[in-house]
Amino acid sequence: MNSSQRQEVKLSWEDPVTSEYQNLLVQIPIALGRQLNQMPGEIAQRQVSRVVLNSSAVSRYHALIDWENNSCVIRDRNSKNGILINGQRRKNTILESGDVIEIGPYEIIITWGGDNKKSIFETNRSQIFFNPITNSLDSESEGIPSVVTTASESDRFPPPEFATPLQVSLQDIYTSGLSVDEIDYLTIGAGIGSFVFVDCLRIFGVTADKIIALGIDRKPYSRYKQLCLNSQIPLKERLRSNSDSCPDNIWGFPSYAWREAWHDLLRLRLFDAIGNLWQVFAEPTLAQTYTPRAGNVFDSIDREIKRIGWEKMYRYGRVLAIRKTTDGRYAIAYSRGTRDKRERAFLIANYLYLATGYPAIKFLPDLQAYREETQDFQSVVNAYEAHDYVYENLKKRGGTVLIRGRGIVASRIIQRIYETRRDNPNIGVIHLMRSPKPKGNQFKKAERFVENHFEFQPFNWPKACWGGDLRFQLERADSQQRQSLIADWGGTTTAARKDWRDTIDEGLREGWYKIEFGQVEKVEKEADFLITYIKNKNFKSTIHLQTDYIIDATGLDADVKVSPLLNDLVTHYNLPLNFAGRLAVSNDFEIEQMRNSTGKIYAAGAITLGGPYAAVDSFLGLQYTALRAIESLAASRSPGLKKLSPLNSFQQWLKWLNNRSPDE
Amino acid sequence: MTPTLLGRWQTRIVLFATVGALFTLPFALGIVGPDASGIPFLVLFYLALLGLIWDVLYNYLQQFRWDRDWPAVFQLIAGLWEAIFFSYLVEFIDLPGLEPGVPLQWFAIHYSLVWLGMFAATHTLMRILFPYWRFNGGQLF
Repeated sequence: MNSSQRQEVKLSWEDPVTSEYQNLLVQIPIALGRQLNQMPGEIAQRQVSRVVLNSSAVSRYHALIDWENNSCVIRDRNSKNGILINGQRRKNTILESGDVIEIGPYEIIITWGGDNKKSIFETNRSQIFFNPITNSLDSESEGIPSVVTTASESDRFPPPEFATPLQVSLQDIYTSGLSVDEIDYLTIGAGIGSFVFVDCLRIFGVTADKIIALGIDRKPYSRYKQLCLNSQIPLKERLRSNSDSCPDNIWGFPSYAWREAWHDLLRLRLFDAIGNLWQVFAEPTLAQTYTPRAGNVFDSIDREIKRIGWEKMYRYGRVLAIRKTTDGRYAIAYSRGTRDKRERAFLIANYLYLATGYPAIKFLPDLQAYREETQDFQSVVNAYEAHDYVYENLKKRGGTVLIRGRGIVASRIIQRIYETRRDNPNIGVIHLMRSPKPKGNQFKKAERFVENHFEFQPFNWPKACWGGDLRFQLERADSQQRQSLIADWGGTTTAARKDWRDTIDEGLREGWYKIEFGQVEKVEKEADFLITYIKNKNFKSTIHLQTDYIIDATGLDADVKVSPLLNDLVTHYNLPLNFAGRLAVSNDFEIEQMRNSTGKIYAAGAITLGGPYAAVDSFLGLQYTALRAIESLAASRSPGLKKLSPLNSFQQWLKWLNNRSPDE
Repeated sequence: MTPTLLGRWQTRIVLFATVGALFTLPFALGIVGPDASGIPFLVLFYLALLGLIWDVLYNYLQQFRWDRDWPAVFQLIAGLWEAIFFSYLVEFIDLPGLEPGVPLQWFAIHYSLVWLGMFAATHTLMRILFPYWRFNGGQLF
């Protein structure tokens, strides 16, 4: 690049907190650092573009990009943790368009000139929605608008009373002639988040007639199970979840490892039993972390469903809108009809618990573009979509698979392919990564472990985020500090399972598994193959990767604006969102702006990421959230809710052990 | 487990005062061990006191672990270390009320029982009685 051209350069990166694509067009010189006021505003009378990167691994003024002898040069400003350029540690170096600058948890791609044309990543967010009626992933669904508009105004639902006023009156709702029910506790979603909350309510003394769980699936784990199966976790496989994260047992004892050991013992499998217990005793340092089998988790939830009377509290329905009522409660307009029969109703509740889960899954924009253009939904898939046929076809005919993303889902897919290779060794894998990963995230005195460009961590956050000092740190932090902490602790990681690590080593050695680095320019269909065009740094040119399938294993999406219900709520009440674009909640997970006299709304799960707690979308995190909300409800003397004394807790635990109802 | 320093201290004090005391009683009453005396309780008191200091070290070491956790096996190693340290301490230093030459085999039995009782309690009873305990880094108050 010629300095006289004075071009803009583009910096683009994936946000380490939300994984959303960020694009910034800026003029050189560019300062990169953690604190705006520590970076110079001007250098030699030229204005400096200052880019703030929020992470403790980034120094206050970390690096400067400027012209030197007609070259674009990056200089490390004596930063504590240094800079990596395309995975190599560099102090000062000449940059070329397409280089990847790694600073702490940020991987920034710098481009200019012809490379700077509007990239596919700048197109709108791309995702696949859950069908609002069937709750399954639907690549052609665009989500149903929250307000069902019909021809006549009088037939509108939710009714016009929901349109503008901040509060609706009960009288208006009753005069609609539709079914109206009143209830103390209502949870929306009826997934695992709702289930855990209802389970806690029941254990804390609330009877089943005071609770309704509204959602699309009869079983709280339906969607979760579907996503597990699609992403190649069959029931006998193990989840990435801790032994004592038991959605069916708030105490975490007996944990899944103990239960599994007990079962093994009954079947005289003594070594298996000891193995499980040794794992929970020595993990993660001297033994591989124990994780429960998916099937065991679902079975345990089934048992708890019966014990607490979930089926009496569950109600089928799709919520369209939530409004405050004039008497200090909430009105919920919902549809409980099917495709053939329209049926609408209202619920009036004192307390609401929103646990609607991930509104969509992410889908890489270039793959989305490919699908829209070719209407080929078979050879380019998201790992969370049903795609078992891919492995069936590979088994029959062999072929090459391109995997995008390097998290836990990618590990599962590789495991599945490894298993399929036993039937047909003519299967290859190209693992495409944006940049090398020579070094793991850093936080204070600790560093995350990396091998073969995979970053390892037993769970999706450091363990102390659930109930240790990191949980307290995040709770105490302000919004800006939270952003930095979450960037440091989060990111894409996978579990250090020995079989997975061995598979990667074996694949690299035998040559059927390859890692490529680069940014995708486009994906096209040529003859019977998919061609992925990538910019590869080592060859300084575009290279073509020819494969039969592409599997996107990049993850789920939790932007609340994608959900019509949450978007309506946020817009109607002008609710604040946190830095990650999720619902802003207090430390006990209340949406404080929705307080209505004594009425309260709480939110749980992925829709609160970026708030006081990191591990919001885990089993144990959902239990934590439920316990916090219940503590706050008990403090405001909510109906039927009692504080749980140690003796009560013990009695309730005995009831759990003997599979007796909490009310008995 | 992922204890905080405050959680370690609170849990240690509570467990020594309950489980620890319970397992010391038979020794103090002379049902188990040489003869009835207050010495087993004094030993328990010194162990708890020293433990509060050890907790500061353990908490510091935890900062070097990415997960900031304290695996169960570390609990065992720490327990062994504390026992060895204490048995050497009473050999060489006169702790008020304790004469040198505490019978080592009885100390070993007493200490093992107390440690096992407390270890088991952290993985079972504490969780059952206090559902918030494991989310609060072991803090009870």
